[in-house]
Amino acid sequence: MLRFIIRRLLITIPTIIVVITITWGLIRLAPGNFYTGDKALPEAIEQNIREKYGLDETWHQQYLRTMGHVLRLDFGTSLKYEGQSVNTIIARSLPVSATVGILAYLLALAVGITVGSIAALKQNSKWDYASMTLAMLGISIPNFVLGPILVLFFSLTLYWLPPSRWDGFPSKSVILPVITLSAIYMSYIARLTRAGMLEVLRSDYVRTARSKGLSETQVVIRHALRGGLLPVVSYTGPALAFLLTGTVVVERLFALPGLGNYFIQASLNRDEPLILGIVAFISMTLLTMNLLVDIAYGYLDPRIRH
Amino acid sequence: MDDKPPLISPQKPEPAFTPSGTPPAPPIRPREGDVIHTGPELAVGEADVRSAERGEFVAGTSLWRDAWRRLLKNRLAVFGMVIVATITLGSVTGPFVIKQVTGLTPDYIPTNIAALKSLPPFTAPDGSFSWLHPMGTDNQGRDLLARVLQGGQISLMVGVIATLMSLIIGVSYGAVAGYFGGRLDSVMMRLVDVLYSLPYIIIIIVLLSMFRSQTARGQLILLFLALGSVSWLTMARIVRGQVLSLKNQEFVLAARATGVSTPRIIFRHLVPNTIGPVIVYATLTIPTIMLTEAFLSFLGFGVQPPIASWGSLTTDGIQNIAIFPWQLICPGLTMGLTLFALNFLGDGLRDALDPQMRKF
Repeated sequence: MLRFIIRRLLITIPTIIVVITITWGLIRLAPGNFYTGDKALPEAIEQNIREKYGLDETWHQQYLRTMGHVLRLDFGTSLKYEGQSVNTIIARSLPVSATVGILAYLLALAVGITVGSIAALKQNSKWDYASMTLAMLGISIPNFVLGPILVLFFSLTLYWLPPSRWDGFPSKSVILPVITLSAIYMSYIARLTRAGMLEVLRSDYVRTARSKGLSETQVVIRHALRGGLLPVVSYTGPALAFLLTGTVVVERLFALPGLGNYFIQASLNRDEPLILGIVAFISMTLLTMNLLVDIAYGYLDPRIRH
Repeated sequence: MDDKPPLISPQKPEPAFTPSGTPPAPPIRPREGDVIHTGPELAVGEADVRSAERGEFVAGTSLWRDAWRRLLKNRLAVFGMVIVATITLGSVTGPFVIKQVTGLTPDYIPTNIAALKSLPPFTAPDGSFSWLHPMGTDNQGRDLLARVLQGGQISLMVGVIATLMSLIIGVSYGAVAGYFGGRLDSVMMRLVDVLYSLPYIIIIIVLLSMFRSQTARGQLILLFLALGSVSWLTMARIVRGQVLSLKNQEFVLAARATGVSTPRIIFRHLVPNTIGPVIVYATLTIPTIMLTEAFLSFLGFGVQPPIASWGSLTTDGIQNIAIFPWQLICPGLTMGLTLFALNFLGDGLRDALDPQMRKF
C-alpha cells in the first residue's frame, strides 16, 4: 500500500509539470503580450515592462525560471489585481468554491444514494421509472439552463432566495448555487447506485445475509450498500473534474467570488501568474483527490489491493 | 417433454466462413433435457423456432439486425431516436422551410418599428395571437424559432465533427497500441493515463482565450480541434481492450498467414470488429461534447457572433431572464431535450449492441 502511494505521488509531480508546461506554452505561443492593448505603449515604457518581467531572456531561461517558481509554490503577483499575490487570491477565493462544491457533493450523495437505492429495491416499479427519467433529465439539462430557471422561479417570482450574491456559508445565498451545481451529480450518483445495487442484490453474499435471517434493512444497509456503492466511489474522480467545470458556471451565474470566476477573469486578462497559479493548484487538488479515491477503493473492496 | 424434437435440428448446415468477419460460432447442438430460453432477447423469433421444430433451415440473423430488433423493443431508445431524428431534420431543413412559409430568416430584423422588440411566443406586435413566432423573438425582433433551428445546426455539427475527430484519433491510437502490445503499448497507454489526469477543460479555456480567433469561422474550427483532441482518450482505451482480446483469434492468424500487411490487418480485420462498443461510446460522446461546447459558449469562449449555437443563444437569454424568459427557456429546453434523447439513444444502443453490458 505504502509503495503504491509513493509511486502515485511520484507520478503526480511530472503530471503537474506537463500541465504547467502546456499552459505556459499556450500563453506564450499566443500572439501578442499581456501589456498589448488598443493603444501602443511608448517604447521606453515597453522596454521597462519587458525588463521587469524578464521578457528579453531566451525562452528556456524564462521557462526554467517560471518552473522554478511554480515548484516552490511561489507564483508571484497578479498582473491585473495589482499588489495582490496569486497565493492571496487563491486563499481568498478557495473557501467560496470549496464550500459550494463540498455542499453540492454532499447533497448529491445523500439524495443520489437514497433515490438510487429505492429505485433498485423497487426495480421496474413506477418509482424506478420516474426517478430514472428524472435522473436522465438531470444529466441532460445543462446547469446554466437549470440555474436561471431556478432563479426565475425562486427569486424573481416567489422572492424567496437572492438571485445572486455571496453572504458566506450559513446564509440563503448558498442554496441556489448548491442545488444548481449538485443536480448533475445527483443524477449520476442515482444511476450508478441503482446499477451497483441491482448487481449486488443478486449476489451470493447478499443471499447468505438474507438466509441468516437478517432484516431487510440490515441486509441493505450493512451488506448491499457497501458493495453497491463501489461505482459511486470510483465516480468521485470524474465527479471532481465535473465539479471544476460546474463551479466555474455556477460562480459566473450567481456572481460568487470563487476560484473559477477568478480563473475565467485571469484567462480573459491574460494574467499569466494567476492562470499558472490556479491551474497548478487545481491540478494538485485533482491528483490528490484521485489518489485518495483509489486508496478508499482499496479499503472498500478487499479484492483490489495494490 | 422428452418426445419433442430438438429445437434446432442437428442437420443444420454449417454457416459459411466470412473472410474478414468473426469466426463462425460452433453449431449449437442441444442435448436432451437442455432448457432453451426463447425469450425476447434471443435472436431467433418464435416463427423461426417453430420452423426449426419442423426441421427446417433457420435463417441466421446478423449482429446488426439482431441489435436493431432489440433497439426497437426499447421504448425509451425509440423515443430518443425519434426526437434526435426530428430535431436533426428540423435543424437542417427548418430555416429553409421557415423562409419559404413566412419569409423570415434567422438574421431578419423587422423594419416595422412596432416589431422591433422581444415578442413572447405566439404573439403579434399588437399583442394578439399569431402563429408567426412560435418561440417569440429576441431583442432585435429576430424570429427565435429560426435562430434556435439554425443554432441546432451549429451545436449538432460541433457534436458530430468533434466526435468524428475523437473517433479517428481514438480508434487508430487504441488499435495500434493493442495490436503491437509490449513496450509500445505500455508507453502509449501511460501517456493516455497522464492525459487522463489533466484538467483538460482548464487547458481548453486557456487555449480558446489565448488564441481567440478574429473570425467566427476560425473560432469554430478552433473549437472542433480543441474538443476533438481531448475526447479520444476513453475511445482509445475501449478499442485497445477490444483489439487485445481479438488479436489472438484465428481469423487474425489466418489473415497473417495469407500475407495480409499489418496496417491492413489492423484497419480491415480488427477495427471493424470493434465497431459495436465504438458506436455506443460515440453516441454517448456527442451529448457530452455538445454540453462542453455550450459550457464554453456560456463562458464566452465558444462560437462567436454572427454564428450562434444553442449554448450562445441560451447565454443571450440569461441576460434577459427577468423580462423575456422565453429567450432562455426556448433554446435551453431544445438543447436539454436533444441531449436527453441522445443519452437515451446511447443507452439503448449499448443495451442492444452489447447485452452483457446491460445494467439490468
